[in-house]
Amino acid sequence: MNRERYIRLRRDDWAQYEKLLHRLQYTREGQWLAKDVSLMARLYRSICFDLSLVQSREWGSQLEDYLNQLVARGHNFLYRSPRGSVLPSLSFLTTGFPRLLRQHFYALMLSTLLFAGPLLACTFLAAVFPEQTAYLVDQEVLQQSIEMFSPSEYRRDGQNFFSERSYMFGFYVNNNTGIAFRAFSLGALAGLGTAYVLVSNGISIGLTQGSMLAVGGQTRNNFFSFVITHGALELTAIVIAGAAGFVLAQGIVVPGNRSRLDALQYSGRQALRIALGAGAMLLAAAFVEAYFSPSQIPPAAKYLTGAVTWALVLSWLAFSGRGGSSDES
Amino acid sequence: MATTQSHQLQVLTPMSGSPRQLIDTKVTVETPEGVDFQFRIAGPGLRASAWLTDQLVKVLIVAGVLLLFVLLAYAFELEFSFPEITSGFAMFSWFVVDWFYGGLAEGLFDGQTFGKRKLQLRVVRTNGTPVDLLSAIGRNFLRTADFLPIAFSGGLLVMICTRRMQRLGDLFFDTMVIEERRLTVSRPAQLLSKVERLQRSECRHRFQVPDRTLSVIERLFDPARAISDARREEIAAPLGNALEQYMGFEEAGPDPDNPYQYFQKRGLRHTRFLLRTMKTFSLTDEDQQDTTAASPQEGRKHQSRPVGDSE
Repeated sequence: MNRERYIRLRRDDWAQYEKLLHRLQYTREGQWLAKDVSLMARLYRSICFDLSLVQSREWGSQLEDYLNQLVARGHNFLYRSPRGSVLPSLSFLTTGFPRLLRQHFYALMLSTLLFAGPLLACTFLAAVFPEQTAYLVDQEVLQQSIEMFSPSEYRRDGQNFFSERSYMFGFYVNNNTGIAFRAFSLGALAGLGTAYVLVSNGISIGLTQGSMLAVGGQTRNNFFSFVITHGALELTAIVIAGAAGFVLAQGIVVPGNRSRLDALQYSGRQALRIALGAGAMLLAAAFVEAYFSPSQIPPAAKYLTGAVTWALVLSWLAFSGRGGSSDES
Repeated sequence: MATTQSHQLQVLTPMSGSPRQLIDTKVTVETPEGVDFQFRIAGPGLRASAWLTDQLVKVLIVAGVLLLFVLLAYAFELEFSFPEITSGFAMFSWFVVDWFYGGLAEGLFDGQTFGKRKLQLRVVRTNGTPVDLLSAIGRNFLRTADFLPIAFSGGLLVMICTRRMQRLGDLFFDTMVIEERRLTVSRPAQLLSKVERLQRSECRHRFQVPDRTLSVIERLFDPARAISDARREEIAAPLGNALEQYMGFEEAGPDPDNPYQYFQKRGLRHTRFLLRTMKTFSLTDEDQQDTTAASPQEGRKHQSRPVGDSE
């Protein structure tokens, strides 16, 4: 059959296909008619055939481009993944997330080590040799944060409390969750970026904490009663985000039995779910940090809630979802 | 005699048999029906300008939300419309928009943010199917890593090294950015209108051209290919010669009344001959007029529309 005759024979189908595709794309799935759907499937298959015929006979790039474009649009329309939900499912947060995290135990341990190691070391350093911290951190910033918790400054008047704390809420979300997401995504650089974020944050938190210990007195008390509750969520979430970064890096560094590209894609989805879970934790942490941690209740009550929160968070991560089947992403 | 001539034509058909792995920005995807089709991959320039547009859109969204927030606070005469609250809210909304705008837009509107839609780009998975929400969010998160060390140079380096021009975020989440626009004018009608059809009397041997040869000619005049006239003539010469021999075409000599015109046209003689062949044997202009329902132009008109945003 020659080219023109073929085109003349087929062009009605092509036009019909285009119209139908356009119509189906702009109506909801529930309103499609059965006859339209089956016609669509038939036309799509016949146009696939047209395309391969035109390709094999080399009947011109224009015709091929046109059919190629028809097939591409039909393919995009017919083969799609199930629509994801915007909100994370509750079961993911309660059981799926801790389960997923425990699957990547080594990444979690590495992340804990890189964050808690510098943190503890610097706490010790700053507590025992306060004058040596000058080499590691800007003294002015450190002095500022110490003053923030000093007895004279720490008192807050009730009137401005809410608005001031709301400002801090925005700041905490932006800053802390931003750090966590960066720790995750920089894992794509073979984990080096994640390690940098973890270590540098461990150092700065450790130095602050150690200086508070060195100053002592009411300031120390103010500081630790402030940080203990949200710390349970915040510090663990940073570590978890770091673990997500290392899971990402795992695809590059140790692909295991998969090809490297497959490994990247597998670890990418797993890591992202972990990082989003960490983001949710940090949102909760920012809420606690902004509105509960600085409130005027006695420090003893804060230590108590803090201890309970730590216990709850750690047991959630360690035990929740055990015994169930692990869900694949 | 005739067989050897047709053999010559066969040789001139480009890449017969060899897989069509050209050095260009097209990526082939195989459908479950066993047909290959192609996507054109978007380059860094287009993607950068889509990104810039999106940055602007992000700022506008945050500004709009803030304005609404302040207006509502005043409308209801809430006591807490302090600058602290507003700036706290600003930081919060900037955080949400900055990290999630791209992912949500691509995940929910079939792979297009506002900037991508403006530039007719689309994110799809590497198998050609629409991107899912999780992958869309992930590839946008990894933009932070692609940005390093400065101004996306890391991402650019990775793009150069991958066949589908994927940055790290694309590699990890199995996506690619394709270009959907077609700037091509349809077949050079203005080119064809300048030449007249071949006459049967001009060709001694036969008055027909193999379809494959025609498609080669069509490709030579593909408006998507920028070729200078001189270069096109150079390419056209061997094919034109072979085809003239095959058809037994003989050009009329100079018109004794106006010989100047003949020699003027002599320069692009092969180009002109191939154009005349195309006009005679390829789809005629009248055909193109009355096939508007199914012609490529119509397809392009639809194609530039977004695909799934009616939902």
